[in-house]
Amino acid sequence: MKKNNLFKAISIIPVIIYSITLILLPLLYIFFLSFQKNDSYGGIIYELTLTNYFTIIDLTYLKVFLKSALIGIITTVLCILISYPFALILKNKSSKVQNLCTKLVMVPFLTNSLIRTYGWIVLLRKNGVINATLQALHITNAPLNLMYNNIGIIIGMTYTLLPFMILPLCSAVFKIDKSLIEAAKDLGASRMQIFKNIIVPESISGVFNGSLMVFIPAIGYFFIADILGGGKEMIIGNLIKNQFLTARNWPLGSAISIFLILITFILVKIYQKLGGKMDDLGGM
Amino acid sequence: MKKVIMFIIVLFIVTGCENKSENTLNVLNWSSYIPDEVITSFEKEYNIKVNYGTYSSNEELLAKISSSKEGTYDVIFPSDYMVELMREKGLIEKLDTTKITNLNHLNPLFLGQEYDPNNLYSIPFLSTIVVIAVNRENITDEITSYNDLLNDKYKNNIVFLDDQRIVIGMALLATNHDMNDTSIEALNDAKEWLLKMKKNIKAYDSDSPKTFLITKETDIGVMWNAEAEIAREENENIEIIYPREGHAISIDNYCIASSAKNVENAYLFIDYLMRYESAFDIVAEYPYISPLRIEQKSEVFPGDIFKNGYYVKNIGSRMKDYDKLWADIK
Repeated sequence: MKKNNLFKAISIIPVIIYSITLILLPLLYIFFLSFQKNDSYGGIIYELTLTNYFTIIDLTYLKVFLKSALIGIITTVLCILISYPFALILKNKSSKVQNLCTKLVMVPFLTNSLIRTYGWIVLLRKNGVINATLQALHITNAPLNLMYNNIGIIIGMTYTLLPFMILPLCSAVFKIDKSLIEAAKDLGASRMQIFKNIIVPESISGVFNGSLMVFIPAIGYFFIADILGGGKEMIIGNLIKNQFLTARNWPLGSAISIFLILITFILVKIYQKLGGKMDDLGGM
Repeated sequence: MKKVIMFIIVLFIVTGCENKSENTLNVLNWSSYIPDEVITSFEKEYNIKVNYGTYSSNEELLAKISSSKEGTYDVIFPSDYMVELMREKGLIEKLDTTKITNLNHLNPLFLGQEYDPNNLYSIPFLSTIVVIAVNRENITDEITSYNDLLNDKYKNNIVFLDDQRIVIGMALLATNHDMNDTSIEALNDAKEWLLKMKKNIKAYDSDSPKTFLITKETDIGVMWNAEAEIAREENENIEIIYPREGHAISIDNYCIASSAKNVENAYLFIDYLMRYESAFDIVAEYPYISPLRIEQKSEVFPGDIFKNGYYVKNIGSRMKDYDKLWADIK
């Protein structure tokens, strides 16, 4: 018994050390920085101030927040629209097929997302695969602007974040009792009615769960906005990155980060209020 | 069992220390700047192991230097305004020029620049200017100035550097202001100009704007001269234009980080890169403008870069206004 406890302690210590040194301390440091002043050389003056938070409340920055939220919402909605059919089709397949397909969804994670994003350039650019095909088939006459704009960003975000929607949604949809659907069919419900009255209410927790995990990264993934948006569109992630790397204003960058964390907290709270469980956010 | 683990740990510590042998040199340089072969032949000749790290902006260099332990890096390559800033912050050391035997290889034009008037802290390594590159297959109009790029015909057909100081500086030059002007009036003009330009800009990219011209994604690009010249090697129809309003100029320099541990090796390295052969190998691969008296690979005549050329300067806390403007125009 004693030995078992020792083993537990030993195996848990690395995780605790990891969490404290690499997550908690940096976060506390960022929280602390967000209340400091910066000097003109990018150094930090240790003097308590709320200036950074007042700076954020500015039309320029609010516009960036709004644009980020819009991109996040569109991405989330697209992910839901793609994931539902996927989950519903798989529901009627054998568990072997279900397992295989959900695993395939995970496969792209084996490649760095930055590299996958670069891959999209080859597909989307003016003389890229998609435009060349469309023109060869005489579907379009001139190349479509598929990237270096908001469309590119949304394609990239939806592609990268789709697994975070598919996985929780599948697990929710697979859990729905088949007999419920059969009973509804016997009673003469149309497919639309079944979807609306049984599938959606029974899987809504999965949708909330997925939405949270898609929306939050979607407002922060600056590299997708940089690469597929051509650096023309700024989302919160870019704004934070700029403060740290070009404007040399770490306190302001920290304040925006804290603001982003606050939004996340609020969204998680809403999720809990709607009946979501924190355990579900931990993954499958 | 415990003893075995202890032994392994001790072994790791001992071998870990051994790696820090005397003959190393820690270099932090811009990415894509010195060909690997130049570094390896230096390592061979002097039997010094070079630990080579890279960065992609002066601000990143500053962040790396000021957040790492003193003595982590030996040779670094800050640009003009960053030399000044690092000197003021005490991050770089005074150079002992007597240890650089190839100092006479330098073209004196490049010495005594305003960021380090007596070259006490820095020796120029490479320089570059911002140019306009135009693909003449598709664009036949005469283009001589930044304002020519506002033409409605170039909708979604221009790539700019993703660099706020350079792009805002360019807008300031185009609207008859100083490249480092921080007055509200000037910044408003620059903002208006950039908003007008927005419809023509396909993308902002600093990593590889030449790719846009090579893949014909855009026909016009505003980029560093070396990028434009590499694009022209791929496509001979690309013309390089020196804007009438003036151009941004940037000189990257050899500097030795304060409390550097391998100072002697650092001087050997700098001296090695200042040999004519090394300098030529470097510009053959990356056609920037060498401050040495060698046959340049770039078409830009070294003496010309200072005429009508403007440095990015430190603007202190006004950087906030630039940053806000940048968020506004994006």
